[in-house]
Formats: sequence, structure tokens, C-alpha cells
Amino acid sequence: MSEIFIGNYKTEARKALGNKVLQGALSDLQHRFGRGTALAYQKLPEGPDLRLKAHGIRQKAIENLDVLLETLAANVRKNGGHVFFAEDSRAALNYCLETARKHNVKLAVKGKSMVSEEIGLNSALLENGIEVAETDLGEYIIQLAGERPFHIIAPAIHKTRQDIGRLFTNKIGISYTDDPPRLTRAARKSLREKFLSADMGFSGCNIACAETGHILTVSNEGNIRMSTTMPRVHVAIMGMERVAARLADHDILLRLLCRGAAAQNMGTYASYIGGPRYANQNDGPDEFHLVILDNGRSRILADEEFREMLYCIRCAACLNVCPVYGKIGGHSYGHPYSGPVGAVVLPLLAGINEAKDLCQGETLCGACQDACPVNIDLPRMLLALRAKLADGDPDWGVTRANPSENAIFKMWSWVIRNRQTYEFFLRAVSFGQKIFPQKDGMIRRLPPPVAGWTRGRDIKPLADKSFMQRWKKGL
Amino acid sequence: MDTTDSGQEAFIGKIRSALGKSSEDLHAETDLCTSQLTDETRVILDRIKNRSQTERQQLLDRFIEMAAPINLNVSVLKDEESVKAAIVELIRNKDPEWDDQKSIVAWQHPLIESLNLSEALSGQNITVHIAKSDNIESEGITIAKERAWLRRHVIESYIGITSADFCMADTASLVMRTRPGQGRSVSLVPSIHIGVIYLNQIIWDLKELYALLSFDPEIGKEGLTNCMTFISGPSKTADVEATMVHGAHGPREMYVYVIKG
Repeated sequence: MSEIFIGNYKTEARKALGNKVLQGALSDLQHRFGRGTALAYQKLPEGPDLRLKAHGIRQKAIENLDVLLETLAANVRKNGGHVFFAEDSRAALNYCLETARKHNVKLAVKGKSMVSEEIGLNSALLENGIEVAETDLGEYIIQLAGERPFHIIAPAIHKTRQDIGRLFTNKIGISYTDDPPRLTRAARKSLREKFLSADMGFSGCNIACAETGHILTVSNEGNIRMSTTMPRVHVAIMGMERVAARLADHDILLRLLCRGAAAQNMGTYASYIGGPRYANQNDGPDEFHLVILDNGRSRILADEEFREMLYCIRCAACLNVCPVYGKIGGHSYGHPYSGPVGAVVLPLLAGINEAKDLCQGETLCGACQDACPVNIDLPRMLLALRAKLADGDPDWGVTRANPSENAIFKMWSWVIRNRQTYEFFLRAVSFGQKIFPQKDGMIRRLPPPVAGWTRGRDIKPLADKSFMQRWKKGL
Repeated sequence: MDTTDSGQEAFIGKIRSALGKSSEDLHAETDLCTSQLTDETRVILDRIKNRSQTERQQLLDRFIEMAAPINLNVSVLKDEESVKAAIVELIRNKDPEWDDQKSIVAWQHPLIESLNLSEALSGQNITVHIAKSDNIESEGITIAKERAWLRRHVIESYIGITSADFCMADTASLVMRTRPGQGRSVSLVPSIHIGVIYLNQIIWDLKELYALLSFDPEIGKEGLTNCMTFISGPSKTADVEATMVHGAHGPREMYVYVIKG
């Protein structure tokens, strides 16, 4: 029951490129957050190199993930919480549904959680007759519109205020307004009713702390605090990699997370939650459940080439600097994990052949690594994925993405190793190319099978005389 | 649920084999998840213990500086009496968000109780609810009652008054742990959140907080509790065309009164 759909990358990308409003929103987003985050790293007392230290912390955590998770689970249980280890999305969903059934849950509220999108929690709840309300304002807008989030941190950034005004008029019956404070207030009112009547609250987990047995959630809106405080039952779902060993690690990771996600020193609300309310406390949930999810992560862990991807804390800083995301936007990636992180994670989770466009679409410029709070070498892994697509890899079940590419390179290799053939080839091309339409010294269109090359750009024609010919004549 | 039906063993086993760990490696790093008292931490703990008046003033200045951009209103007042006056004034000037009745909900906390707000507001048609937790342990039936009581009052109150365990100057954050009578919803559900603290509760940053939680005998004993929250300003969102709006789900406004003594 995976919610990962991939396959419309090129169509969606083309659509996004032609949408002027969207291009403006993307450009604003990257200007604000991309630059803001870089500046926030500069202002750290330790400087931007703190990211390198964080990389080390994440590396150590992942290399000892078994110990960390066992400690985390033991401490959560000691605090009175339940822990469930889910091998895949089905196991996680079954556990959530079972817990919901046990408590006769009719309405659930949800804080923003990427991993719940990954397992398709909303549709599973709905199929089982449980209403579920997204409570992050952006996610709420997306849910009302029946769409998918556009950005990890700013899910509705592609919607104009007029879009949202019309949506709210249709769906929650307010009189039309496109004033952001009034729209926010309308959502506040409508969701307050949900928070106060929900039986169950779902959250994700930014980073757990093994030492103390707590999950950490961060939000600016307060929706996660609402979802984890007001309902009787709180279920937190975390990817198995989202754990740090000790509080001292949290000092560094939390500061970097807030800077990476929104160029903030600290999110408005950060909560360490470690169990249900104690018997003598008069608010908080009666039960606390922590679901720890594998869903393909152990396979990534087993491959040292990609293990580094598990250091990711899903802050979305890489989306805010990526020149490709900045043009094609989040929907092209087909999943809430978009941008450079999506381009590596989705092929690994959903199949490298299936998601090949994602990793082949990135530029390898390295901006994502510079923006990453834990300095993940995303370009290296994008290249490694491409290598698998070029050569095939039985371990990952990858077949060659383009068999003719291989044949062409073999032929080319033969041509350039035979001087006379090469010269003949050059002469033929430099003569033959004259029939193609040219402008400003560039060829505008090539014929099939190489027509694709000039679909989006021009190509420089071969020079009349080769370098060797000119060299022989003394240049 | 115990560990056997939680899927833990198979799950952890899979991770171990993915990491290529043999059973001999298992307990190689037992200290991995325990904070180590380093020289750096000792310096931090010393610094917190021996803070001079000047340093406290610096912390306060930093707090005020960092609070401004996140629209957290900070007032520095000389004693409880002035805080009481300031809160009464605030209540007079602010209207409820959801209905007409002016109700206030407050923590059961020595500092808040010393303000004597019920008395100061008597005769003004303003109700002050104190989030009590009396008798909750002794009688099973009272738990549900107390819960319903608090729930009703945080919902109908438009101002919630709390203290805090600490205040981190560098991020302008109030740090609250959860205790009986000091519910989480008091700082969350009402439209306006007021926090009252003493000057000596201000610490520098996360590093200091985590050092205290890990190594201060008194503070460490209580630990993080089942919910430790940092609150840095009023609730906000920028999800409609990236326009900043306060009061997404949590309080729309936040005030912190620092008693200088």
C-alpha cells in the first residue's frame, strides 16, 4: 500500500515550466529560504562547519542504529509508552488502524509528517471509516484541494491567495476573501473544532533522543502540540533513521534543523514527548505509541554507497537551493519527498528504474550539499544511481535504462580509436551538417535519431577544418 | 505490549545484518547513549552556577533582543506586585477571541499563586481558573473529572498564564516541563499566553539547558518529564503566499514578564 507514484516527471515538469505564477512562487521561495539558510549557517557561533560535525554525529548514529533504537525503545517503554517496529508500510498501517479500532476512533488529527505520506496513512484511515484532518495550514489546504504537497516545509506554496480563498469558500463555506490573516483565521476556527473533538492525534518525529526516550517534534503553527496534547491517544511515526544518541547531539542537530528548514534560530514550538500523561497529570494523551518504520531503509543501510542518505533529517534545505527544483517544482517528483533528497531517496525506496528521471534530472551542481545541515554528499549518490542505470545492477534489480546508449558508446569508442575512420566521420558530418537550419552560427534542428538534442537547445556545428588540419598548416 | 510482539527482534536483527555486525560487536559501545561529563560541560555548569549580576543582565538583554523579531513581548518588572498590575491591565485591554466571557486559566505554581490574580480581578466579571491537580491520585473517579474540568476551562479561557522552568536567551524560548497542575494545554489552547519568570531562570542556550538536564543532580533527577516544550513566541504560519500571520493554532499573542527583584 505504498503511496509512491512516479512516472509523470517530464509531463509535470513541462507543466510547471509553463506556469508563470508557479515560477514566481518558486523563485520567491528560493530567494527567501535558500539565502536565509546560508546566512543562518554563517551566523552560527561555530560557523557553517558545524554541519561537518553534524555529519559525524549522524554517521555515528546510523552506524550504531541497532543500539540507538533498542535504547530508545527501552526508554520509551520505561516512560509508559508503547513501541512498535514496522517492517513495511502495511505493518505500520495495521498497527495504527488496530490502535484506532481499540479506542473506537472516529476522528483523527494529524501534524505534518512525511513518513505518514510515505505509508499512505490518510487513505488507509479513510478506507476504514476514520475521518482524518491534516492540521498544518499548508497541508490542510492541500487536503481540501485533494492534491499532494508541493514542498516539504511549504506544502501549498504553489497556491495563490485567490486559489485558497475560492477553495475555502467551496469547502468550508466562508464568504470569499483572499486576505491571508482572514484565511488563516478561518482555518484556525475550523481546525480548532477538529482538535477539540479528535480521539487520536498523529505526528511524525524530527529527531528522537535514545538517551532519554523522547521524540522531538518542531512546528511554528502549534498544530503538532495540539495533535499530541488534546486527543486521548497519540501515535508518532518515525523513519528508523531519525534518532540521535544523546541530548548533546540534539543541541547541534536541532539548531541546524531549524536553520535548514526555515532559516530560524528555533521553531516556535519544539516538544520532547516521551510517553503518555502520568496518572496525576490532568492533560496530555492517555496513551502514547511510537511506530518505528523500516519500509526499505534497511536495504539502503546495507549498501555503503547509499547509507549516507539515512543521515537526512528531512529539513528541505536542499529544495530551497536546487536549480532544478526551483524550475520544475515539487509535483514533478511525484511524491512529497521532492528535490535533491527525493531524487536520491525515491529511486532507493521505489525502484531505481521506476524513478530514473528523478536522479537523471538533477544537475550535480552541488548546491544541495552546501545547503544540507548535515552535509550529505547528494551529488555523489546521484552519480552512483546514474552509474547503476547505465550499467545495470542485479543487487538493486536495476536493468540498463538505455541499451542503445551503450551500443552508441561502443561504436564511438571504436570510431575514435581509428584515425582514418574518425577523419572520414568528421568530414562527412561537417559536409552533411550544412543542410540543417542554422541561426547565429548555431544549428537549430537536428534530424532523428538525434532530434532530441535540439528540442530545447541549439548546437554548435563542427568547424570547417579540424584542429589537426589547422595544426599541419601551422595554425 | 512487550517486546516480543512489537517486531523488535527481527527488526533490529535486520539492521545488524545490514550493518554487517556480528554478535561480538553487540555491546562494544555501551556508553554510546549516555551523556559524558566533559571538561567543556564542567565549564558550562560552573558558569551557570556562578553568574554575576552583570552576566544576568547580559542574558536578559539577549533575551529581549531575540524576542523582538519573533513578536514575543517581554517586560521587565521589579516585583510580583507590578506583574499583577501589568496582567490586570492586559486583561482589561484584550478582548476574548471566541466568546464574550473573560475567563483566565493559570497554572498551579508558587509564582503564579503569589500574584493573587483572583483577588485582583474580583468584581470585574472575570473568572480565574487554577489548573489544580488535588486528589487526582487518590480517587480514580477524580482523574476523569479533573481532566474534563481543565479541558473545559482551557477551551473557554482566552488567556493562559504559566511560569516556566527556564528561559533560553539565545532563542527567546520558554522551557516548560510537565507536572501535575502545570498542564501543557494552558500555554497552548487560549488565545493569549502569558509567561511569568524570575530573572535568574534565564540561561544562555540549548547547550546550557542540556548540560543542566544531564548533570545537575536536582534538575537531572526530574529529567525531561513526559513532555518538555520550548515556546519561542506566538504561533505563526506563512502558508498562504508566504505571508506571516500570527495565531495559526496556538496563541496569537505572547507576553513574558521577567521579575528582576
